[in-house]
Amino acid sequence: MIKSAEVVIIGGGITGCSIAYNLAKKGVKDVVVIEKDYLASGATGRCGAGVRQQWGTEMNCKLAMESIKFYETANEVLEYEGDIEFKQGGYLIVASTEKEHQQFKKNVKLQKSLGIEVNQITPEEATKIVPYLNTENIISATFCPKDGHLNPFTTTDAYAKAAKRLGVKFYTNTEVTGIKTDNTKITGVITNKGEIATSKVVNAAGGFSKEIGDMVGIDLPVYSERHQILVTEPVEPTQGPMVMSFSLNIYCQQTPVGAFIMGRGDANEPRDLRRTSSWQFLDEMSKTVTELLPALGGLRVIRQWAGLYNITPDKQPILGSVKELDGFYLAIGFSGHGFMLAPMTGLLLAEQILGEKTSIDISMLDKDRFERGELVLEPSVV
Amino acid sequence: MRIDKHPILEFQRGKKIKFIFDGKEIEAFQGETIAAALHAAGVKVLGKSIFKHRPRGFYCAIGNCSSCFMVVNGEPNVRTCVTMVEDGMVVENQNGKGEIL
Repeated sequence: MIKSAEVVIIGGGITGCSIAYNLAKKGVKDVVVIEKDYLASGATGRCGAGVRQQWGTEMNCKLAMESIKFYETANEVLEYEGDIEFKQGGYLIVASTEKEHQQFKKNVKLQKSLGIEVNQITPEEATKIVPYLNTENIISATFCPKDGHLNPFTTTDAYAKAAKRLGVKFYTNTEVTGIKTDNTKITGVITNKGEIATSKVVNAAGGFSKEIGDMVGIDLPVYSERHQILVTEPVEPTQGPMVMSFSLNIYCQQTPVGAFIMGRGDANEPRDLRRTSSWQFLDEMSKTVTELLPALGGLRVIRQWAGLYNITPDKQPILGSVKELDGFYLAIGFSGHGFMLAPMTGLLLAEQILGEKTSIDISMLDKDRFERGELVLEPSVV
Repeated sequence: MRIDKHPILEFQRGKKIKFIFDGKEIEAFQGETIAAALHAAGVKVLGKSIFKHRPRGFYCAIGNCSSCFMVVNGEPNVRTCVTMVEDGMVVENQNGKGEIL
């Protein structure tokens, strides 16, 4: 194992790989990524794979817009020999309560002001996009045709391979067991395979980011919540966009191979980092999806899995440095949306680590915003 | 072709029924699977493979391999090797992954 590094990134998901790539691209030598399992083995590889710009806060909208722009040309930019399978089939988000309907009005106004191609449409218009949508309890919907989905495994692979070509070293099956400090700054990282001397550590550990914070005695304002997904047998192309409902707690899309994937979480579950599947999810999800999208009722479920949302009090990520400890950077708390924001996360973290002016002002995304009471709540989360 | 006499087993076939395969009427016995009835009637190709569209037929016979997927009464991806044949059923070859609309 390498003895010292300029920057050590903890976590080999899409976030860690994107930060590593962006740092290396900016000329940083000796960037190391430590992953306790294999690349994309955590939340990245378990996610719903959707990317959307339809958010309720300006910050999330901006991060998502720029990230989608990157994904549009990512195969070429990252010189990837495979395919990240980016497909822009749109996101159809339905409002089934008056509160949601009013919230979507505000969201669409905000999104349009930022230049996002989005419209609030009637239930009848929504059935032109998804003919089998049950509009019985739907008041309105919003649709952005530029939202879409891509393959989390190949996308992480694309970033990792590009980073490796630029000299980044990846240590998989390697677990960080401690972080060395001299109380004011980082001095090294301890793993189960050896120690690396470094002055900069990035916490990109996803569902396990709080545990990394604990290693340096910083209580991070995040928690992890199990979210589950099921996948059906593949059928011929049937559904263009992701269909989503916040009040019904469901998102459902058809992947390029034809399988439908659908998921949700349960906020009342114990926060014990469990990543097992439950029969309750299978039961509840089957009922919800057959009510909202009746045509999918006959599909057979092939398997289900679970992953962790790393959630902050305002459902927006925590990005950047911390005041307590020099050289400790956070890219955590994406609240289920780390995959879709990763291109901007990587760029912004690299800019901040190098002391450059960041492309988007992320000073409001620091971890102390909750103590200051500057809570800008993201309302649009499944 | 059916085995009528077996040295050890005795067949207790159900009553004769009829179902439709690709527009043709086929005779079967109640209690048989769709794939068994088709096999007895000499039908070897049940569907086509999803990528190269090669013929697919009776294979594992226990509902595991997906080789016998057919469209039954309009429903795609039916495992005909473990689905009982019924009187008046409409069975079609499946080409591709199946259409649900």
